[in-house]
Amino acid sequence: MATQISPCSSSSTTFPPSSLNQDTFSSAKFFNFSTKSSSSRWVFKIHSRINPKNQFELKSSNGYPLNAISLQDGAAEMPLAKELVSREQAESNLSVTIVGASGDLAKKKIFPALFALFYEDCLPQNFTIFGYARTKMTDEELREMISRTLTCRIDKRENCGDKMEEFLGRCFYHSGQYNSEEHFAELDSKLKQKEGGKVSNRLFYLSIPPDIFVDVVRCASGKASSKNGWTRVIVEKPFGRDAESSGELTRSLKQYLAEDQIFRIDHYLGKELVENLSVLRFSNLVFEPLWSRNYIRNVQFIFSEDFGTEGRGGYFDNYGIIRDIMQNHLLQILALFAMETPVTLDAEDIRNEKVKVLRSMRQLRLEDVVIGQYKGHSKGGKTHLGYTEDPTVPNDSLTPTFAAAALFIDNARWDGVPFLMKAGKALNTRRAEIRVQFRHVPGNLYKRNFGTDLDKATNELVLRVQPDEAIYLKINNKIPGLGMRLDRSDLNLLYSTRYSKEIPDAYERLLLDAIEGERRLFIRSDELDAAWSIFTPLLKELEAKKIAPELYPYGSRGPVGAHYLAANYNVRWGDLAGDD
Amino acid sequence: MATYPPSTHCPSSSAYSNNSSLINGSNRLPQRTSFPSILRKRCRSTKLYLHQSSNGVSLSKAVHVQDGAKSMKASPVENDGPVKILKDGILSVPPVTPPEESIDIASFDFNKDKSTVSITVVGASGDLAKKKIFPALFALYYEGCLPEHFTIFGYARSKMTDAELRTMVSKTLTCRIDQRENCGEKMDQFLERCFYHPGQYDSQENFLELDKKLKEHEDRLFLKILAGRVANRLFYLSIPPNIFIDAVKCASCSASSANGWTRVIVEKPFGRDSESSAALTRSLKQYLDEDQIFRIDHYLGKELVENLSVLRFSNLIFEPLWSRQYIRNVQFIFAEDFGTEGRGGYFDNYGIIRDIMQNHLLQILALFAMETPVSLDAEDIRNEKVKVLRSMRPLRLDDVVTGQYKSHTRGGVKYPAYVDDKTVPSDSLTPTFAAAALFIDNARWDGVPFLMKAGKALHDRRAEIRVQFRHVPGNLYNKNIGTDLDLATNELVIRVQPDEAIYLKINNKVPGLGMRLDRSNLNLLYAARYSKEIPDAYERLLLDAIEGERRLFIRSDELDAAWSLFTPVLKELEDKKIVPEYYPYGSRGPVGSHYLAARYKVRWGDVGSEQ
Repeated sequence: MATQISPCSSSSTTFPPSSLNQDTFSSAKFFNFSTKSSSSRWVFKIHSRINPKNQFELKSSNGYPLNAISLQDGAAEMPLAKELVSREQAESNLSVTIVGASGDLAKKKIFPALFALFYEDCLPQNFTIFGYARTKMTDEELREMISRTLTCRIDKRENCGDKMEEFLGRCFYHSGQYNSEEHFAELDSKLKQKEGGKVSNRLFYLSIPPDIFVDVVRCASGKASSKNGWTRVIVEKPFGRDAESSGELTRSLKQYLAEDQIFRIDHYLGKELVENLSVLRFSNLVFEPLWSRNYIRNVQFIFSEDFGTEGRGGYFDNYGIIRDIMQNHLLQILALFAMETPVTLDAEDIRNEKVKVLRSMRQLRLEDVVIGQYKGHSKGGKTHLGYTEDPTVPNDSLTPTFAAAALFIDNARWDGVPFLMKAGKALNTRRAEIRVQFRHVPGNLYKRNFGTDLDKATNELVLRVQPDEAIYLKINNKIPGLGMRLDRSDLNLLYSTRYSKEIPDAYERLLLDAIEGERRLFIRSDELDAAWSIFTPLLKELEAKKIAPELYPYGSRGPVGAHYLAANYNVRWGDLAGDD
Repeated sequence: MATYPPSTHCPSSSAYSNNSSLINGSNRLPQRTSFPSILRKRCRSTKLYLHQSSNGVSLSKAVHVQDGAKSMKASPVENDGPVKILKDGILSVPPVTPPEESIDIASFDFNKDKSTVSITVVGASGDLAKKKIFPALFALYYEGCLPEHFTIFGYARSKMTDAELRTMVSKTLTCRIDQRENCGEKMDQFLERCFYHPGQYDSQENFLELDKKLKEHEDRLFLKILAGRVANRLFYLSIPPNIFIDAVKCASCSASSANGWTRVIVEKPFGRDSESSAALTRSLKQYLDEDQIFRIDHYLGKELVENLSVLRFSNLIFEPLWSRQYIRNVQFIFAEDFGTEGRGGYFDNYGIIRDIMQNHLLQILALFAMETPVSLDAEDIRNEKVKVLRSMRPLRLDDVVTGQYKSHTRGGVKYPAYVDDKTVPSDSLTPTFAAAALFIDNARWDGVPFLMKAGKALHDRRAEIRVQFRHVPGNLYNKNIGTDLDLATNELVIRVQPDEAIYLKINNKVPGLGMRLDRSNLNLLYAARYSKEIPDAYERLLLDAIEGERRLFIRSDELDAAWSLFTPVLKELEDKKIVPEYYPYGSRGPVGSHYLAARYKVRWGDVGSEQ
């Protein structure tokens, strides 16, 4: 049992910002005596996000075993819990240790995300941040390093400097080897010192290469676990290279950690529009009736980057785009997209549904995949190097930097609907989006108004995850004027025009969730297994047969093979349609 | 056979002109061929006019004839025979059309516009004529949508010369914002073709004089035409209802076209109730056939009303939702922000229910609720609309709230009450506001309230359709939505005016940490998407009348069905002298409309905090 914050509220729907409760209900106690569920009500329109820290509430934050439902209910029935809140709150302490603190991810994402959470009052009152890496560094040097990447939200600049100072004052550094129990024991004693004997919760963020995951987990778990609070470990991809290595990694992790301590992060799941996907589906009447093979012709998951490995291909070359993007990010989004309605929005319910989708999917076959690799290209006097010209990449590398795949979910809802994925580096644009193409209108009265290509006249729902978050629905509309000419117009919602607030980085959300024990956006071991089992045979075959990727020029739209793959399933890629 | 410029370009509202298939001469193509989805040019040169059977099709035979038309591909000309019988109003000999002509058509020589059209605006000195009809005709001319050979006549009692008419007309002509070039020149050309003839509305003699003048002009135009002499005539009756019949009689008897079609556009009011409407129809039919009568309801010419069917039937995503299973209620809202302003004489005799609800709103309702028609042809659509109207329950007094505006002082300005209007009796009970709940007792809509609201002197000006969807069953996010789940339902809004727009209110996650939902709009604002000026409803309707496209005009049986819904309640209101609820000028109308809505568990969508 641990204390924690709810107001900043994680992605969970569970705890209301208490300051708001008072508006709606006479007292906060109301909630605790409500026996219905642990999740209380939210007020529909809330303007203030930030809440006083002393309103933190108690919540069972511990990992639930997979059959978590009963525990959830149990938590809800503890009317006395509230009274423990203030005492526990004052006494508990959160330590976040970033293992691999000198790395790129830590500098660019993790520290800034922690600062943003701090700035928004989403971190508990007593928290400490430790950097851990092999580099020799003083606390001051760490602070110096971090401070360069901290920024305040555009819309909340006041006190920014003060807040930064305060934040940096809570950041410390400990240098040590990743496989040294001794060094972790030293870290432990430093942590203890900061914690001052209070209930201490510890979060380790492993921002390190995969080959040392297990060592670190062993040392951290053995020597630096919390004795009286929770200990959680956030792990970044890659989670293995295939079903076997992933299974092996999971087994190793589980020697030292329980399932509910492992937080496998997939930062795409923390993206605003991915979060919104379930909201769209399940809180609107107008989408769910259409959400099946009856109305949906195909679904496309598209990821593209407009840059290559740029001298940092060492890691990538060992994995390739399929493992780097498809098997995790795109597949996770697919599972969220296609899952059945979960029993509740609780993590286990949602992950149960996602696993069901993954387990209903056919293993990917070689003929349903097109791979590509970018080659050098000169444009406008500027030469872009090909992938194999990257000094960190072997000259004869066959690693795909582009892949397109057609996947199928053999369940009642989705039988026969192609789910197409496309991911690539060094393409002409940078974007991530979900496109849902609807079927033709049966017996369309307006058929003759649409030229010959009826495909162009189908409705399409686009969720643009990045950049410029937006949702739009392409509809056929009459062009105003005399006569009857139709075109496709968009019913759209562009986030930047509707919501003036800066959208938080995915890492903020995910870190906060990990702190709060909200597992919805983290990948469970069985999800990971299921995901790998879809891709592993194909990946093996590609490597065993040394399939040569189709080369495409840097900055192009990718190999044309992707179109032929789509055409096999009567699909046309929505992102290259020209009217986009 | 009457030929007239059909329409690929000035393309009538019809989606379907026969012409393309004639061009193609293909045996496989349906008679209505595809439009390229995106055509930049709206109005091509008038030289492209083609043959088309423009004739009125008798109601019972509509489908059959259509099929007939479809099958006449091999040699269109030989099919003149069957078609001519069905022509509107006239049974005269078809123009002699040598077979080569059709070959010419096939070889894309379209310079065969063998007909003229004379448009007579009866009541030319009136307000509607000046503000709407002449400008609409000019706009059509400017866009090259009028037939090459046309003449416009003004007819009214005032003494005026052609020049005076032109001066009067010219004051209201404007060019589209996006097409200013040659505007002055075009105006002059247009005005040159406008003439005036003064006369009494009930004088056969005066109409005979008109006929003579029309003939002169037609003959003059015929000189330019190599073959064929079809003179078509369109009369636009922009006159008070009590002289409709006289004018129709005179026009029909003394000024009908001898060898082309003669059509008459009639404006509301079409009677005051079932009986008077039926009497009017009977009288009109003494002189005109059904297919000569074009009852105009200019709301049906509004862009977004036109678009309603496109939305429903050309998109997959709406039709599955279009029933009682998903739709909780539908609202048709019409509001004006001004009162009668000294011109209440006509209005007081009719009231808002007759003036707006029974026609404009009910017509939109019928379009909204109809089943999918067999085709987009006028008769198919009107058949479906009649079915909706006939499935509706007659309106009960309980389901109506009436209101009348009273004076109100705001910001030092005193706005008059309805009965302060000098043209209105001081004890008038005529409603200037009404709200009503209607029901369609068919399989698709059973139990779904269709609410209407119309009023004058309200706080804003708007016309819109709002579709409120049901609650999400077993909504996972209920706890995020607060206590009033009604606020969280989806809503589709089609804003007809002003600022044409379509938007769908959806629940969305507010970006940021945490899980808060709000309602955002998926929207399409016409001004942002389409830079072109949207044509006035009258342009579309005039063009349709010229082209014989009847889809947007009200058929007699539609009118009967519409009246039978409203007549009992109108009689009851008048018999019982029901006093309207008073509301201040510029307000949101009587609160009674909220209670009416509440009785059917509806909340008006236009007065929420967010719209």
